[in-house]
Amino acid sequence: MPRYFEDLEVGDGFESPGRTITEADVVSFAAISGDQEALDFTAGEAGLLPLVPELLIMIMSSGLGFRAPAEMPQVLAFMVFDLYIRLPVRVGDTVRCRIRVAGKRPMKDAGVIVEQRQMVNQRGDVVQEAEYKLLVARRPRE
Amino acid sequence: MSEPSRQYFEDIQVGDEYLSPGRTITEADIVAFAGLSGDYNVLHTDAEFMKSSIFGERIAHGLLGLSISSGLGARAVARPFATLAFLGLRWRFKGPIKIGDTIKVRMKVTVKKETSKPDRGIVTVQRAVLNQRGELVQEGDTELMIERRK
Repeated sequence: MPRYFEDLEVGDGFESPGRTITEADVVSFAAISGDQEALDFTAGEAGLLPLVPELLIMIMSSGLGFRAPAEMPQVLAFMVFDLYIRLPVRVGDTVRCRIRVAGKRPMKDAGVIVEQRQMVNQRGDVVQEAEYKLLVARRPRE
Repeated sequence: MSEPSRQYFEDIQVGDEYLSPGRTITEADIVAFAGLSGDYNVLHTDAEFMKSSIFGERIAHGLLGLSISSGLGARAVARPFATLAFLGLRWRFKGPIKIGDTIKVRMKVTVKKETSKPDRGIVTVQRAVLNQRGELVQEGDTELMIERRK
Protein backbone atom coordinates (compact mmCIF):
# COMPACT_ATOMS: atom_id res chain seq x y z
CA MET A 1 0.00 0.00 0.00
CA PRO A 2 1.59 3.28 -1.03
CA ARG A 3 1.50 5.97 1.64
CA TYR A 4 0.42 9.53 1.05
CA PHE A 5 0.44 12.97 2.68
CA GLU A 6 -2.70 12.04 4.65
CA ASP A 7 -0.92 9.05 6.23
CA LEU A 8 1.82 11.15 7.85
CA GLU A 9 1.36 12.83 11.23
CA VAL A 10 3.51 15.33 13.08
CA GLY A 11 5.61 13.39 15.59
CA ASP A 12 5.83 10.24 13.44
CA GLY A 13 9.37 8.97 13.27
CA PHE A 14 11.79 6.11 13.16
CA GLU A 15 15.45 5.27 13.47
CA SER A 16 17.13 3.61 10.49
CA PRO A 17 19.53 0.69 10.62
CA GLY A 18 23.21 1.63 10.65
CA ARG A 19 25.56 1.89 7.70
CA THR A 20 29.31 1.60 8.05
CA ILE A 21 31.12 4.14 5.91
CA THR A 22 34.00 2.49 4.07
CA GLU A 23 36.94 3.73 2.07
CA ALA A 24 35.13 2.31 -1.00
CA ASP A 25 32.23 4.69 -0.35
CA VAL A 26 34.61 7.65 -0.28
CA VAL A 27 36.22 6.52 -3.56
CA SER A 28 32.78 6.05 -5.19
CA PHE A 29 31.71 9.49 -4.01
CA ALA A 30 34.84 11.06 -5.50
CA ALA A 31 34.19 9.28 -8.79
CA ILE A 32 30.57 10.37 -9.01
CA SER A 33 30.96 13.93 -7.76
CA GLY A 34 34.29 14.63 -9.42
CA ASP A 35 35.48 16.08 -6.13
CA GLN A 36 38.89 14.50 -5.70
CA GLU A 37 39.85 16.32 -2.52
CA ALA A 38 38.89 13.50 -0.16
CA LEU A 39 41.09 10.99 -1.96
CA ASP A 40 44.31 11.94 -0.19
CA PHE A 41 44.00 9.39 2.57
CA THR A 42 47.40 10.36 3.98
CA ALA A 43 46.33 13.93 4.71
CA GLY A 44 44.63 13.21 8.03
CA GLU A 45 46.13 13.27 11.48
CA ALA A 46 48.49 10.45 12.35
CA GLY A 47 46.83 7.40 13.88
CA LEU A 48 43.32 8.39 12.80
CA LEU A 49 41.35 6.95 9.91
CA PRO A 50 40.54 9.24 6.96
CA LEU A 51 37.77 11.84 7.17
CA VAL A 52 34.59 11.24 5.18
CA PRO A 53 33.29 14.17 3.05
CA GLU A 54 30.38 15.82 4.87
CA LEU A 55 28.23 15.68 1.76
CA LEU A 56 28.63 11.89 1.56
CA ILE A 57 27.10 11.57 5.05
CA MET A 58 24.16 13.70 3.92
CA ILE A 59 23.76 11.41 0.88
CA MET A 60 23.82 8.30 3.05
CA SER A 61 21.13 9.83 5.24
CA SER A 62 18.90 10.29 2.20
CA GLY A 63 19.12 6.56 1.45
CA LEU A 64 18.78 5.44 5.08
CA GLY A 65 15.49 7.35 5.16
CA PHE A 66 14.09 4.76 2.76
CA ARG A 67 14.76 1.92 5.19
CA ALA A 68 11.74 2.72 7.32
CA PRO A 69 9.56 -0.07 8.77
CA ALA A 70 6.59 1.28 6.79
CA GLU A 71 6.56 2.00 3.08
CA MET A 72 7.94 5.44 2.17
CA PRO A 73 5.40 8.09 1.27
CA GLN A 74 5.12 9.04 -2.40
CA VAL A 75 7.68 11.83 -2.60
CA LEU A 76 7.12 14.01 -5.67
CA ALA A 77 10.04 16.34 -5.10
CA PHE A 78 12.76 17.25 -2.65
CA MET A 79 12.29 21.00 -2.25
CA VAL A 80 14.69 22.48 0.30
CA PHE A 81 17.06 21.44 3.02
CA ASP A 82 19.21 23.03 5.68
CA LEU A 83 22.23 21.05 6.83
CA TYR A 84 24.24 21.65 10.00
CA ILE A 85 27.52 19.84 10.45
CA ARG A 86 28.29 19.01 14.07
CA LEU A 87 31.16 16.51 14.16
CA PRO A 88 33.59 14.84 11.75
CA VAL A 89 32.97 11.30 10.52
CA ARG A 90 35.83 8.93 9.75
CA VAL A 91 36.11 5.82 7.60
CA GLY A 92 34.91 2.87 9.70
CA ASP A 93 32.27 4.87 11.59
CA THR A 94 28.73 3.53 11.47
CA VAL A 95 25.96 6.08 11.05
CA ARG A 96 22.21 5.79 11.36
CA CYS A 97 19.49 8.30 10.73
CA ARG A 98 16.73 9.45 13.09
CA ILE A 99 13.79 10.97 11.27
CA ARG A 100 10.81 12.79 12.72
CA VAL A 101 7.92 14.55 10.97
CA ALA A 102 8.05 18.11 12.33
CA GLY A 103 5.35 19.75 10.25
CA LYS A 104 2.88 19.32 7.41
CA ARG A 105 1.08 21.78 5.16
CA PRO A 106 -1.56 20.72 2.64
CA MET A 107 -1.55 22.24 -0.83
CA LYS A 108 -3.98 21.82 -3.71
CA ASP A 109 -2.65 18.64 -5.31
CA ALA A 110 0.06 17.64 -2.85
CA GLY A 111 1.40 18.50 0.56
CA VAL A 112 4.62 19.70 2.14
CA ILE A 113 6.18 17.53 4.83
CA VAL A 114 8.91 18.96 7.06
CA GLU A 115 11.28 16.34 8.46
CA GLN A 116 13.94 16.76 11.13
CA ARG A 117 16.82 14.38 10.54
CA GLN A 118 19.73 13.57 12.79
CA MET A 119 22.71 11.49 11.73
CA VAL A 120 24.13 9.63 14.71
CA ASN A 121 27.39 7.69 14.94
CA GLN A 122 28.14 4.42 16.77
CA ARG A 123 28.82 6.31 20.01
CA GLY A 124 25.43 8.02 19.86
CA ASP A 125 26.89 11.44 18.98
CA VAL A 126 24.91 13.58 16.54
CA VAL A 127 27.26 14.24 13.60
CA GLN A 128 24.84 16.13 11.34
CA GLU A 129 21.37 17.61 11.60
CA ALA A 130 19.11 18.54 8.74
CA GLU A 131 15.66 19.83 8.01
CA TYR A 132 14.09 18.53 4.80
CA LYS A 133 11.05 19.91 3.03
CA LEU A 134 9.47 17.29 0.78
CA LEU A 135 6.56 17.54 -1.61
CA VAL A 136 4.40 14.46 -1.02
CA ALA A 137 1.46 13.23 -3.11
CA ARG A 138 -2.05 13.37 -1.67
CA ARG A 139 -4.19 10.23 -1.70
CA PRO A 140 -5.85 10.01 -5.11
CA ARG A 141 -9.63 10.37 -5.06
CA GLU A 142 -11.54 7.19 -5.88
CA MET B 1 54.29 18.99 -9.42
CA SER B 2 53.86 21.67 -6.79
CA GLU B 3 50.58 22.12 -5.00
CA PRO B 4 48.60 25.20 -6.08
CA SER B 5 48.85 27.95 -3.46
CA ARG B 6 45.74 28.23 -1.34
CA GLN B 7 43.51 31.24 -0.76
CA TYR B 8 43.41 32.30 2.86
CA PHE B 9 40.65 34.33 4.51
CA GLU B 10 42.51 37.57 3.66
CA ASP B 11 42.76 36.61 -0.04
CA ILE B 12 39.04 35.99 -0.49
CA GLN B 13 36.88 39.03 -1.24
CA VAL B 14 33.12 39.53 -1.16
CA GLY B 15 32.05 39.60 -4.82
CA ASP B 16 34.66 37.11 -6.06
CA GLU B 17 33.00 35.00 -8.76
CA TYR B 18 33.75 31.67 -10.42
CA LEU B 19 32.12 29.77 -13.27
CA SER B 20 32.78 26.04 -13.62
CA PRO B 21 33.09 23.97 -16.77
CA GLY B 22 29.98 22.02 -17.76
CA ARG B 23 29.23 18.36 -17.08
CA THR B 24 26.62 16.24 -18.85
CA ILE B 25 24.55 14.09 -16.50
CA THR B 26 24.23 10.54 -17.80
CA GLU B 27 22.10 7.54 -16.92
CA ALA B 28 25.26 5.94 -15.48
CA ASP B 29 25.60 8.80 -13.00
CA ILE B 30 22.08 8.21 -11.73
CA VAL B 31 22.51 4.44 -11.43
CA ALA B 32 25.81 4.85 -9.61
CA PHE B 33 24.32 7.42 -7.28
CA ALA B 34 21.35 5.19 -6.42
CA GLY B 35 23.85 2.50 -5.43
CA LEU B 36 25.99 4.83 -3.34
CA SER B 37 23.13 6.55 -1.53
CA GLY B 38 20.66 3.67 -1.30
CA ASP B 39 17.98 6.01 -2.69
CA TYR B 40 16.14 3.85 -5.24
CA ASN B 41 13.03 6.06 -5.36
CA VAL B 42 11.06 5.43 -8.58
CA LEU B 43 11.72 9.05 -9.62
CA HIS B 44 15.31 7.98 -10.38
CA THR B 45 15.11 4.27 -11.13
CA ASP B 46 11.84 3.26 -12.83
CA ALA B 47 11.80 4.41 -16.48
CA GLU B 48 8.37 2.89 -17.16
CA PHE B 49 6.69 4.48 -14.13
CA MET B 50 8.22 7.87 -14.96
CA LYS B 51 6.83 7.88 -18.52
CA SER B 52 3.46 8.78 -17.06
CA SER B 53 4.83 11.33 -14.54
CA ILE B 54 4.91 15.10 -15.02
CA PHE B 55 8.60 14.76 -15.97
CA GLY B 56 8.00 12.09 -18.64
CA GLU B 57 11.25 10.31 -17.76
CA ARG B 58 13.61 9.55 -14.87
CA ILE B 59 15.21 12.56 -13.22
CA ALA B 60 18.52 12.83 -11.38
CA HIS B 61 18.51 12.70 -7.58
CA GLY B 62 18.60 16.25 -6.25
CA LEU B 63 21.61 15.32 -4.16
CA LEU B 64 23.37 13.98 -7.28
CA GLY B 65 23.10 17.47 -8.75
CA LEU B 66 24.51 18.87 -5.52
CA SER B 67 27.36 16.32 -5.47
CA ILE B 68 28.33 17.03 -9.07
CA SER B 69 28.13 20.76 -8.43
CA SER B 70 30.60 20.32 -5.55
CA GLY B 71 33.03 18.60 -7.91
CA LEU B 72 32.49 21.28 -10.58
CA GLY B 73 33.04 23.94 -7.94
CA ALA B 74 36.41 22.45 -7.05
CA ARG B 75 37.39 22.60 -10.73
CA ALA B 76 36.29 26.23 -11.03
CA VAL B 77 38.55 27.59 -8.30
CA ALA B 78 42.14 27.41 -9.52
CA ARG B 79 43.57 28.30 -6.10
CA PRO B 80 41.58 26.27 -3.56
CA PHE B 81 40.32 27.89 -0.38
CA ALA B 82 42.24 27.09 2.82
CA THR B 83 39.14 25.44 4.27
CA LEU B 84 39.32 24.24 7.86
CA ALA B 85 35.74 23.04 8.06
CA PHE B 86 32.50 22.85 6.16
CA LEU B 87 29.90 24.26 8.56
CA GLY B 88 26.60 23.94 6.79
CA LEU B 89 24.48 24.35 3.75
CA ARG B 90 21.08 25.77 2.84
CA TRP B 91 19.94 24.34 -0.48
CA ARG B 92 16.92 24.69 -2.74
CA PHE B 93 15.93 22.38 -5.59
CA LYS B 94 14.26 24.53 -8.26
CA GLY B 95 13.81 22.23 -11.23
CA PRO B 96 14.58 18.74 -12.52
CA ILE B 97 17.90 17.60 -14.00
CA LYS B 98 17.24 15.07 -16.75
CA ILE B 99 19.51 12.52 -18.42
CA GLY B 100 21.53 14.37 -21.07
CA ASP B 101 21.31 17.78 -19.38
CA THR B 102 24.57 19.67 -18.95
CA ILE B 103 25.04 21.62 -15.76
CA LYS B 104 27.48 24.31 -14.65
CA VAL B 105 27.91 26.00 -11.32
CA ARG B 106 28.32 29.71 -10.75
CA MET B 107 29.75 30.70 -7.38
CA LYS B 108 29.95 34.03 -5.64
CA VAL B 109 31.42 34.99 -2.28
CA THR B 110 28.63 36.89 -0.50
CA VAL B 111 29.69 37.19 3.15
CA LYS B 112 32.95 37.33 5.13
CA LYS B 113 32.68 37.16 8.91
CA GLU B 114 35.29 37.46 11.64
CA THR B 115 35.11 34.97 14.48
CA SER B 116 36.29 35.14 18.09
CA LYS B 117 39.38 33.16 17.05
CA PRO B 118 42.08 35.21 15.30
CA ASP B 119 43.36 32.34 13.13
CA ARG B 120 40.17 31.84 11.08
CA GLY B 121 37.11 33.45 9.52
CA ILE B 122 33.79 32.37 8.03
CA VAL B 123 32.97 32.75 4.34
CA THR B 124 29.58 32.23 2.69
CA VAL B 125 29.62 31.09 -0.94
CA GLN B 126 26.42 31.33 -2.96
CA ARG B 127 26.11 28.63 -5.61
CA ALA B 128 23.78 28.53 -8.58
CA VAL B 129 23.47 25.38 -10.70
CA LEU B 130 22.41 26.16 -14.27
CA ASN B 131 21.43 23.84 -17.10
CA GLN B 132 22.26 24.15 -20.82
CA ARG B 133 19.33 26.55 -21.32
CA GLY B 134 20.60 28.80 -18.51
CA GLU B 135 17.72 27.77 -16.23
CA LEU B 136 18.42 27.73 -12.51
CA VAL B 137 17.93 24.13 -11.34
CA GLN B 138 19.44 24.30 -7.85
CA GLU B 139 20.86 27.02 -5.63
CA GLY B 140 22.13 27.53 -2.14
CA ASP B 141 24.62 28.91 0.31
CA THR B 142 27.62 27.09 1.74
CA GLU B 143 29.31 28.23 4.96
CA LEU B 144 33.02 27.52 5.24
CA MET B 145 35.53 28.13 7.98
CA ILE B 146 38.72 29.45 6.35
CA GLU B 147 42.20 29.71 7.75
CA ARG B 148 43.94 33.09 8.04
CA ARG B 149 47.55 33.70 7.05
CA LYS B 150 49.97 32.97 9.89
